[in-house]
Amino acid sequence: MLTALIIDDEAPSRDELRALLAAEPDVQVLGECANAIEGLAAIHRLRPQVVFLDIKMPRLSGLEMVSLIDPAAMPHIVFVTAFDEHALKAFEEHATDYLLKPIEPQRLARTLNWLRSGGRPVSTLPAITSTEQLRQIPCIGRSKIFLLSLAEVEYVHTDLAGTQVVSDQRQGLTELTLKTLQERTPLLRCHRQYLVNTDQIAEIALLDNGAAEILTRSGKRVPVSRRYLREMKDRLLIS
Amino acid sequence: MFEQINHIALIGELMQQMCVYLVVAYLLSKTPLFAPLMQVTVRLPDKLVCYVVFSGFCIMGTYLGFNIEGAIANTRAIGAVLGGLLGGPVVGLAVGLTGGMHRYSLGGFSATACAVSTVTEGLIGGALHLFLMRRHQADRLLNPAIAFGTALVAEIAQMLIILLLAKPSDQAARLVAQITLPMVLTNSFGAALFMRLILDRRETLEKYSIAFSVKALRIAERSVGVLMQGFNAQNCSRLATIIQEETGVGAVAITDCDKLLGFVGIGADHHLTGTPISSPHTLSAIADNAVVYADGVSRPYRCKVHKDCRLGSCLVIPLRGEGNVVFGTIKLYEPKSKFFSTLNRTLGEGLARLLSNQVLAGKIEEQKRLLVQSEIKLLQAQIDPHFLFNALNTLAAVIRSNPDSARQLVQYLSTFFRKSLKRTGNDVTLADEVEHVNAYLSIELARFAERLQVKIDIPPELLGLQLPAFSLQPIVENAIKHGISQMLEPGCITIRAERSDGLLSVTVEDSAGLYQPQPDSDGLGMNLVNRRIKLRYGEAYGVQVTSERERFTRVAITLPLEAQALPC
Repeated sequence: MLTALIIDDEAPSRDELRALLAAEPDVQVLGECANAIEGLAAIHRLRPQVVFLDIKMPRLSGLEMVSLIDPAAMPHIVFVTAFDEHALKAFEEHATDYLLKPIEPQRLARTLNWLRSGGRPVSTLPAITSTEQLRQIPCIGRSKIFLLSLAEVEYVHTDLAGTQVVSDQRQGLTELTLKTLQERTPLLRCHRQYLVNTDQIAEIALLDNGAAEILTRSGKRVPVSRRYLREMKDRLLIS
Repeated sequence: MFEQINHIALIGELMQQMCVYLVVAYLLSKTPLFAPLMQVTVRLPDKLVCYVVFSGFCIMGTYLGFNIEGAIANTRAIGAVLGGLLGGPVVGLAVGLTGGMHRYSLGGFSATACAVSTVTEGLIGGALHLFLMRRHQADRLLNPAIAFGTALVAEIAQMLIILLLAKPSDQAARLVAQITLPMVLTNSFGAALFMRLILDRRETLEKYSIAFSVKALRIAERSVGVLMQGFNAQNCSRLATIIQEETGVGAVAITDCDKLLGFVGIGADHHLTGTPISSPHTLSAIADNAVVYADGVSRPYRCKVHKDCRLGSCLVIPLRGEGNVVFGTIKLYEPKSKFFSTLNRTLGEGLARLLSNQVLAGKIEEQKRLLVQSEIKLLQAQIDPHFLFNALNTLAAVIRSNPDSARQLVQYLSTFFRKSLKRTGNDVTLADEVEHVNAYLSIELARFAERLQVKIDIPPELLGLQLPAFSLQPIVENAIKHGISQMLEPGCITIRAERSDGLLSVTVEDSAGLYQPQPDSDGLGMNLVNRRIKLRYGEAYGVQVTSERERFTRVAITLPLEAQALPC
């Protein structure tokens, strides 16, 4: 049994692919997502074996999304695109599987056979293993999906629900781990559970027990543990 | 009594000698050799010229002097002092040495003293040069009063040296008593006059170049853009008038390679626009691609059209276009009664360059227009492959789920292609444009389903108005491509049209507000629509974008309603 997830921003495309996959008895479609941000959450939640991924999607493209997937949850990726000369060239060069829209059933069958026989993961594509710096963090808020630009972010912390991204105005849950964010953004680790944007620091209050507390520009409080205080002082050139 | 007369006679004779000296200097000032002397020299070759010239004057001063009791009364000091003043201590020393050695070679009881004193004089000039340069007062070096003072000091020093070095001493004392006053006076005056000569020469040159620049600038200013509108009889006549007024020459003509395009001034009654070129000078200027100057004396100028023509000399300059190929000439004339000024001759050649450039710039403008036209044709023929494949993909899905809608979609698709590919005329009605856009949006509505909403609000009475074909669709396509398709939540496209104050404005607004100006790639379509409208109706019209981040992007096409005559 192959478990699959469809991520495409166009409803007719999703319907068509779902109809084609319905003809295959050993493929189970776990769900559909209309954008990459929801898609990222769904991959982490549903852990599908294969993801049919559209490239051109609003704000966060399919290629960018793959680079944000937690490596432990990395499924087989099959890119689906109507027309994208540059991406196709890259796929050809790195022997990555892709389907062209409108999808030809025979071509889909070949891809499925390759997957059933345990096809290779797609970690060879440079765009996918990228450690490029992020400019925006994809978030899911209470009723809205959005991208928070890094300049806006005040701090990030983890709690039971996951990784929370906090700005002056908004707050959202992201699929990215603190570790990924620390590696791919200039956010600074100040606590086991917190990263802070140094540009948003208004003041740092030193506490009696050797720890500290940051007051952000909008007046939010962020804890600094003793362990990270020294490193932070170095970064901010405070002796 | 006898000594008194001798004094005055000596002053007179030395003054005469100095006159000869200054005439030579004056003649020399007309040669290029003089140019480096007109400023304080810094460069090595200039210093060399300075050395050669002033050494020459030194030696000449000695030769022109005359013998008094075995010594020579002379104006040698001028060369040495001025050499030092203008060239600096090294040049001063070199001039002094050269002049001094020459004097020494002529012998006499004061030979040694004179040689030493000439070197000293050069050094005094040089010392002053150094002093003033250090204090950044270089222009004072050319001051005749300073030259006078320096020569005065130098001559007094010479007298002292003669008293000290020349033997026998009593003879030296007598000589000094006789020649001090005449030599000090003439040498000082001479140096001052020489300096004045240099200054005068400099001022003349400056006046000439100022007059030249003023004329050239005024002509350039008045003639800007005249020929850019085309190299034809009307523009050439306008230009000839400007040139004739500014240069004040007798007459000005502009020709192409066959005929006269404009003529203004003396003889305009028989030099008629449109007549073939008759002058052999003009024909040879065109054939040889060279300036022809008929001064009326060594090379005669005779009007071929009318035997009583008053014009007596002419200058013909070829106008050169791309690849230095001659495409016409500009001709300046003076009547028989007037001299052709060199200023106008030089100016004429500059003018020819100016006009050539203008014509070239006009051609480039024209080519730009043609390019935009062909780009539009390309745009019409070009359908975005993304759109095509996405449409086909949508169609594939809809065929499965709803065959009736699919049939409708195929209809829209064919309308869209027909409109895109078979645009014949340049202008279409707003109704045509809206139909094109409607077919396009119907397909996008099926593709984006609930993510897209479309509102078209165009008053029916505006539908008959004309606008350039293919103005609206590229803007709507941008709104989808860079707007709605980049939104995470549902979006809306609104198309409105309104008419006010003789203007038609059509606005396309999307609710994405993601517009980012990108000079090159910013939708070839939108730039092209903008450029085409500006080119055709003027800079006041075209495409204007207003955007508020994440709220809306509004693109307005504005064009005048009445001006629909020009083809584009």
